[in-house]
Amino acid sequence: MTTVIAIDDKLCTGCQECSKVCPNLAIEGLPHQPQKINETKCVMCGQCVQKCKSYVSVAEHGFGSHAKIRKERGLPETVVEPLFAAYNVTHLDEVLRALEDPKVETWVQSAPAVRVGIAEDFGAPLGTLAAGKLAAGLRRLGFDKVFDVNYAADVTIMEEGSELIDRVTNKGLLPMFTSCCPAWVRYLELNYPELRHHLSTTKSPQQIQGALLKTYGAKTQKVEAKKIFSVSIMPCTCKQYESSRPEMVDSGYRDVDVVITVRELAYLLKLKGIDFLSLPDEKYDLPMGDYTGAAEIFGVTGGVMEAALRTGYELITGQAIPAVDIKAARGSDGYREADIQVGDLTLKIGIVTGLKNVKPVMEALKAGKLDRHFVEVMTCPAGCVTGGGQPKLVLDKDFDEAYQNRAAATYAHDLELPIRKSHENPSVKKLYDTFLKKPLGEESHKLLHTTYCGDAKSHHSH
Amino acid sequence: MTTDFGLFVSTDTTKCTGCKACEIACFQSHNSKRNKVGKTIGTITTPVTPKLYVTVIETASMPIQCKHCENSPCKAVCKQGAIIRFGQQVVVDESKCIGCKDCLVACPFGAIALLPYYDKGQPIKQVGSTENKVAASKCDLCLDDPDGPACVRNCPNEALRVSDINEDRKKKNIAAAEALMVVNAGVPERRLLS
Repeated sequence: MTTVIAIDDKLCTGCQECSKVCPNLAIEGLPHQPQKINETKCVMCGQCVQKCKSYVSVAEHGFGSHAKIRKERGLPETVVEPLFAAYNVTHLDEVLRALEDPKVETWVQSAPAVRVGIAEDFGAPLGTLAAGKLAAGLRRLGFDKVFDVNYAADVTIMEEGSELIDRVTNKGLLPMFTSCCPAWVRYLELNYPELRHHLSTTKSPQQIQGALLKTYGAKTQKVEAKKIFSVSIMPCTCKQYESSRPEMVDSGYRDVDVVITVRELAYLLKLKGIDFLSLPDEKYDLPMGDYTGAAEIFGVTGGVMEAALRTGYELITGQAIPAVDIKAARGSDGYREADIQVGDLTLKIGIVTGLKNVKPVMEALKAGKLDRHFVEVMTCPAGCVTGGGQPKLVLDKDFDEAYQNRAAATYAHDLELPIRKSHENPSVKKLYDTFLKKPLGEESHKLLHTTYCGDAKSHHSH
Repeated sequence: MTTDFGLFVSTDTTKCTGCKACEIACFQSHNSKRNKVGKTIGTITTPVTPKLYVTVIETASMPIQCKHCENSPCKAVCKQGAIIRFGQQVVVDESKCIGCKDCLVACPFGAIALLPYYDKGQPIKQVGSTENKVAASKCDLCLDDPDGPACVRNCPNEALRVSDINEDRKKKNIAAAEALMVVNAGVPERRLLS
């Protein structure tokens, strides 16, 4: 396993503020001594990277220190912002090499939370929505196709929603947990491996998109799959780990070749001299950049649940959900429950945000006291909008403003989109009509579902 | 607050973890206008130049910052008149500083550092030269900020406070008087002696 999160012992003052936010006690060391990450415990969420204030300092480390450490970390010369002791290992060089190689077909996808974060690193107010500028910026960087994770989030809902209904109606294992957060998946694999079958077998949107790009995408765009270099832009430091899991090769290739964070995307745009805030609004490429409001809200805690309910309600009852906005799923409490009436079924849901809050839920499950059908778990404090790869705040006290503005921008984008339910996405309908045939079908099982703890894929999804 | 003596920031070393949030907040407070430092790290285009310096020793950590000495040796030795008294506080006029280091030598606490000096995101040049200028950088108690020192407001552990030494002394006097009153009342010889 390659290192994702590291602490530079030349810079760490041993303040241990990072260990206060680490959800799996993976940071070890004595006070006032440099800390070390125990990689066998680290879930790679990057919250320590967000927290660390111990920077490369002219006063302490000397005038040339910034350039030296920037070089050690493989960052371009145009990165002039401060560097900190805790950091995530960059993969920008791989992206740059692919972009410069005319033989390589570079396809990119961005997560929902990217478009409410990226503008901040160019001086825009916290939580500025920049979906159109993001598409334009990626195109200016030279990506051949600007697709979007949100398309695959709609596919995720088709699969995961169907999986939930299957488990509920056929007495499958409940509760089912969401599996789109890779740090949560790793946490469960490390701490509760015996409970792994509670995880939805549906892959995360990133990995669904990865598997589809090099199969369905290659076919529809008439490009050889082996020529595609698939890049993912994420608010998350752990997605690089997810993409490099050995099983994530269902397309016959590495499904996602490389992942960079929102902060690294800002480095890349600055390196290429792109004035992000002056860019026009452009559209994502079709069909795999077509998305609904349901996909966009994956970026906020409760969003996957809400998106699943918008579709699940209709799949179960055959009728449209009375109110598309499902306020019961929203909020920022670390653990919240609601009972939602879906036809004759009272669907019992739970939502965890902030991985530290999952432990009591898991202990309740172990004790047989967790009376829920479906539980969403997100590692970061308020979902992906507060991810470890998002623009880093200068002051901790701006956290609430950042969270509230990014979440508000996410819901505003959901509201402005013409379609707000995943199953109504015309490009996703077409994907099922022409390629996958049906949710949980043979092709879906092969490409869009996975296993945990190194289990081999069986012919049963649960 | 009116005071005869300069205020200064003091640290509760039982609370300080040495995280440098104070240094970052100090830098942001002094550079949000001058160098357009925004709310995310990506908006920073200059070196971080704080005015206080977190110091970690084996058993403790604390920011070392200017105590705004009444008989300020830094001000006394500055031949450029770059260190002045503003109200009761000792502040540096960076535009006048020539980087001679006399104030660094004079300060017994090492509370002053010579750091790069930027404006509008660009390094200020030395007079008549293409070389970058440095300037003495030390705590000015965030005189321009109505909310007071940024370090105090942004310490995650509430380890910092603004000390008014006269007020503190009076409080200690009162606490001592209250304690001594109890002690004296309980000592019979004292009453016999008086």
